[in-house]
Amino acid sequence: MDTKWNRMDNDWIEEVQRMLGPEPAPAEAGKALSPAAKRHWSWVRVKGTAGLLAFFLGMTLALSALGALGNRIAWERDPSPRWEWDWQETDAFRDEVSHYLREFLTIGAGGAVDFYDGAYYWDGGYNSAVVVEQEAIRTWWGFGEAAEAVTVDRGTLESVLPAEQEKELEKEPDEAYRNEKNVLYFIETAEGETYTNVAEGKAFFLTRTLLDYNFYLTFQDGKVSIIKNGKGLDVYGNGLYNDESRWFVPGYDNFPVSEDLKDVTVYMAVRQTPERYYGVDYKNGGTYSSSAFYRLARQVEESESFYKTQGLLLFIAMWCLVLHVLLRRSVESVRQRLARWTGKYLWTEVRFLLAAAGLLWAFLPGLLNRDIIYELLYRYDYGGDGGYSFAAWGLSVLRFATVNVPALVALYWLFWLGRNERRRWPPERRRSLLRGFFRALRARDLKRPVEKRLSRNHAVGGAALVMVNIAGLANICNLIYRVFFEYNYIHIDEVALFIQLPLAILEVPTIDFFHKFLDSWRLPRDIAALADQVEAVRAGNLDKPLRLPEDADLRQTAESLNDIQAGMKAALEEQTRSERMKVELVSNVSHDLKTPLTSILSYAELLRQEENLPPAAADYAKIIDQKAQRLKTMVEDIFEISRAAADQLPVHLEQLDLAKLLRQTLAELDGPIQKSGLAFKVELPQEPVMITADGRRLYRVFQNLIDNALRYALEGSRVYLSLKTAEGTAEASVRNTSRTELPEGVDFTARFVRGDASRTDGGSGLGLSIAKSFTEACGGSFRVETVADLFTAAVTFPMEQEGQET
Amino acid sequence: MNECILVVDDDPEIVNAIAITLEREGWQVRRAYDGLQALEACLDPAVKLILIDVMMPKLDGLSALLRIRERRNLPVIVLSAKSEDTDKILGLSMGADDYVTKPYNPQELIARVRSQLRRYTSLGDVNAERRQGLIVNGRLSYDPAGRILRADGDEVKLTPTETKIVDLLIRHPGQVFPAEEIYRRVWNEDAYLCENTVMVHIRRIREKIELNPKEPDYIKVVWGIGYKMEPHG
Repeated sequence: MDTKWNRMDNDWIEEVQRMLGPEPAPAEAGKALSPAAKRHWSWVRVKGTAGLLAFFLGMTLALSALGALGNRIAWERDPSPRWEWDWQETDAFRDEVSHYLREFLTIGAGGAVDFYDGAYYWDGGYNSAVVVEQEAIRTWWGFGEAAEAVTVDRGTLESVLPAEQEKELEKEPDEAYRNEKNVLYFIETAEGETYTNVAEGKAFFLTRTLLDYNFYLTFQDGKVSIIKNGKGLDVYGNGLYNDESRWFVPGYDNFPVSEDLKDVTVYMAVRQTPERYYGVDYKNGGTYSSSAFYRLARQVEESESFYKTQGLLLFIAMWCLVLHVLLRRSVESVRQRLARWTGKYLWTEVRFLLAAAGLLWAFLPGLLNRDIIYELLYRYDYGGDGGYSFAAWGLSVLRFATVNVPALVALYWLFWLGRNERRRWPPERRRSLLRGFFRALRARDLKRPVEKRLSRNHAVGGAALVMVNIAGLANICNLIYRVFFEYNYIHIDEVALFIQLPLAILEVPTIDFFHKFLDSWRLPRDIAALADQVEAVRAGNLDKPLRLPEDADLRQTAESLNDIQAGMKAALEEQTRSERMKVELVSNVSHDLKTPLTSILSYAELLRQEENLPPAAADYAKIIDQKAQRLKTMVEDIFEISRAAADQLPVHLEQLDLAKLLRQTLAELDGPIQKSGLAFKVELPQEPVMITADGRRLYRVFQNLIDNALRYALEGSRVYLSLKTAEGTAEASVRNTSRTELPEGVDFTARFVRGDASRTDGGSGLGLSIAKSFTEACGGSFRVETVADLFTAAVTFPMEQEGQET
Repeated sequence: MNECILVVDDDPEIVNAIAITLEREGWQVRRAYDGLQALEACLDPAVKLILIDVMMPKLDGLSALLRIRERRNLPVIVLSAKSEDTDKILGLSMGADDYVTKPYNPQELIARVRSQLRRYTSLGDVNAERRQGLIVNGRLSYDPAGRILRADGDEVKLTPTETKIVDLLIRHPGQVFPAEEIYRRVWNEDAYLCENTVMVHIRRIREKIELNPKEPDYIKVVWGIGYKMEPHG
C-alpha cells in the first residue's frame, strides 16, 4: 500500500509536477548527484516533457484536421467538384449560368419571367438539387413527355388570365434583372426588341472590354458559345448530351432548341468576382438579394481556405509527431509517471463516467438526428438506382461518426491514457471505489462465522429461487389463460409457443428444486458445525466428537472426522504415555545410580580422612572422589535434560527482569569469575527488561553459559556478556574466545558434545544442551554461533509489553 | 555428647558409612535397615535423632516417619536419592525436619545433624521457649531489640551492615527485596549497579548462618527480582 495515498491531497499540483518530471535518478547514484548528472537529468526531463507535448499537439491537430475533413466530405459541404478553387469551374456555376440563360431565353421568347421560379433553387451544392433543376429545365424546353403540362403549369401567356396578362405586360420582362450586378446581358428577340442592363449595348459584349467581367456567353442561332478569360470553351463536346456533359444548355444534337428560340440572341457576361447586392421585387413586393454567384464564389473561397488550413495543420502535426519520435526515449519516463499518476488518481469509476460522457457527447447528436439514422439504415435506397451503394453507406457512416470531432479527439485521449496506464501500471494497483468497497465488505464478511455467511448466501439464493418460481407460476397462469380463455380472440402466437411454453415446462423441475432447497436449510448449520469441529480439533480439543443427525448430508463426513479425532487422541495418549515412561525410566535409573554413587562418595571421603594412608593411596582416593563427584553431576544433568526433552520439566513462569537476573547471576558467580583471571565485559541496560520465564531455570542457563566461558575461554581473554533489546525481543549473549580450536559443523547444543573432543575436561558435556532445553522450556530460543575461535551463545526472549504487568 | 542417632537405610554400606562419619563426631549410632526396624528402634529413649531413607523394603521412609511421629517427638532428617522439589516438599510436609539428598556431602550432613540436635536437646523445644518479641524462623532466631541473631541458639557475629541486611530481611520473611531496595534501606543512598555489593554481604551472611552456603535455605535469590528470607516452620 502506498502510504502517500493517505496524506492530504491538496498538494496534487506538486504531484503533477513530479509526474511530468523524469524517473528519479537510479538508486545507485544516491542522493548526492554530481552537478553534471543533475544537468543531465533535468535535460532528460525537459526533453521528455517536450516530446510528450509534441505528441499531444501533433495527435490533437492531426485528429482534429482529419475529423474536420471527414466531416466536410461526409456532409458534402463543398461545391462540386471538390478542390476546384476557380468558382467558375464548378457545377453550381454552370447550373446557375444555365438558369440565367433559360431566364433570358424566356424573355427573348416573349414570356414574363418569375425570378423565383419554384422549380429552381440552389441549395449550396447538393447534387440532388441540380438533378431537380435539370429535370425542370428539360421539361420546360419541350423535352420529355410532361412538357406540355408543365408548360401550362408554369403559366404561358395563354393560360394566364387576361387581367393578369394586362398587369404583367405593363412591366418590362427583364425588370427583375435590371439591377443585376454580377451578370450583364443583352437579349434580342426574334422581333428585333432588345433588353439589356448595359449602357453600351451589344457592342460591349462583342468587344468584351470591361475588366471585371471575364466570362462571356453567347446564344446565337440556337447554339451556345462561351469565352472565358479570352479563350473559347468547348461546350458541346462530341455533340450528344449525356450524364457526363458539363453544360446543360440547348444546342446538343439530341437536345435541340425549340423553334421559338431559334431567332433569339442572348449575350451575357459574368463578373469575375461577384458582388452582393439588394434589390426590390416590384412584382411580389419586398426586397430580394441576388447573391447566388456571390455565395458560390464565397463558398469556393471558404472551401479553398478550409482545405489549405487543414493541410497546414496536418503538416504541423506531422512535424510534431516526428519530433516526438525523435524524443521517444526521453518520453518513456514521462509516460511512466503519467501512468502512475492516472493509476493513482483516476478511479475506475471516473474513467467509466468520462468515457460514457465522451461517447454521449460524440454520438448522441448523431443518434438524435433522424436524417442521419435514416440514411445509415436505408442509404442503399437512396440515389434512385435501388441498388446497394457501399460508398454511399460509408459516407453516411462517416457522417454519423464525425458529428462531433472535438468529442472524438477527447475520447482518443481518454483511450490513450488508459492504454498508456495498462502498459505501465499494474492493474491491481489501480484505484476503484467499488472494488475497495467490495473488498472491505468481503474482508468484513470473512470475519463472520461460517454459519452466518452460508445462511445469508442461502437466503439470497432462496429469495432468487422464490422470485423465479413466482415468475414461472405467473407465466403458467398466463399461458393457461391465453389458451383456454382467450382462444377465440387471440391465436396462440409465437411468444406463447416459443417462450412461454418452454418456460412453463422448465418450471416443473424448478418447483421440485425449490422443495429440495427448503429441505436443505439445515445444511449451513451442519457445515458450520463441521467447520467449528475442524477448528476445535486443530486447536487440540480431542475429547468431544461431533454428532450430526442420522439423515444429515454431512453425517458420513462428520463420522470420518470423529474417527480422525479419536485416532489423534489415541496417538497423543500413546505418545504422552511413552514420554512419561521414558521420564520415569530415567528417573529410576538416576535414582538407582545415585545409591551406589552415595556409597562410593561416602567411602572415598572416609578413605581420604584416613590418616595412616600411604601417599599413593591418598591420591587414589582423591581421584576416586573427584570422578565420583563428576559422575554425580552427570547423573543429575541427564535427569534434568531427559525431563526437558520430554516436556516434563516443571517450570514456574513469572515476570522477571532479565537484566537483573544477569546481574544477580554475575554476583552469584563472582567468586569463580574473579578466580578465573578472565575479564568480563558486561553491557546491560539500566531499565528493566521484562520477560516471562522461570527464574531458577534461567539462572541455570546463564550459570552454564558463564561456566562454559570460564571453562573453555582462552586464559586472560575477555568475555563479553550483553543484553540488547530490539523489536520486542531481548537477546542476552555470552561471547568468548575459545582456548582450543573450535571444530566446524558441530552442534554444540547436542548432548555430550564438547569443543574438546578428548573429553578430559571436567564438564559433563551437557551444559549447553541443558541451557538450550531450559531456555526453550521457558519459551525462549537459544542459539550458538562460532566464527573461527569466537564462540557466541545467545538467549532470546520475547519482551513483555509495558502495562501488562499486574 | 552421647546422644544416640538412628540411621535407617536399606543399603548397609551407606548405613555403615554414615555411622562411621557420625561416630567420628562423637555420636552413638543405632542402625536399622527397613521401616519396621526403624519403628522398633526409635522406641529406645536414647535415640535423639533419626536419619531415614525414603525408598526401603517393608515400610518406606515416609510411612515410617508418620508412625514415628505418633510415638516420639524428635528431629527426623530424611535422606533420599530423590532430589526433585516435589519430593522435598512432600517429605517436609509429612513431618521431616530436614531433607538431605543423596549423594550427600558428609560435612553438610554433620552440620545438619548438629543443628537439629542443638535445637531439640541443648535448647530444648524452641517453641516452648519463645520469648516476647523474638522472631523465630527455623534455625534462626532474632531479637529485634538487641539486634542479635542466633543460629541454632548460637549468636552469630555480624558486622553492622550485615546486621542491617538481616534485620530488613528477617522482619519481612518471604518478602522479596530488590538489591536497589536493600541498598537504599541499608546504605541510605540511591544507587544502581549495587548487585555485587549487596551480594558480597549476603554471601558473608550465608557463610555464617547457612549449613551449606552454596545451597542456602534461608537467604535466597529470587532470580530476576531480588532477595528474600525464606520462611521456615
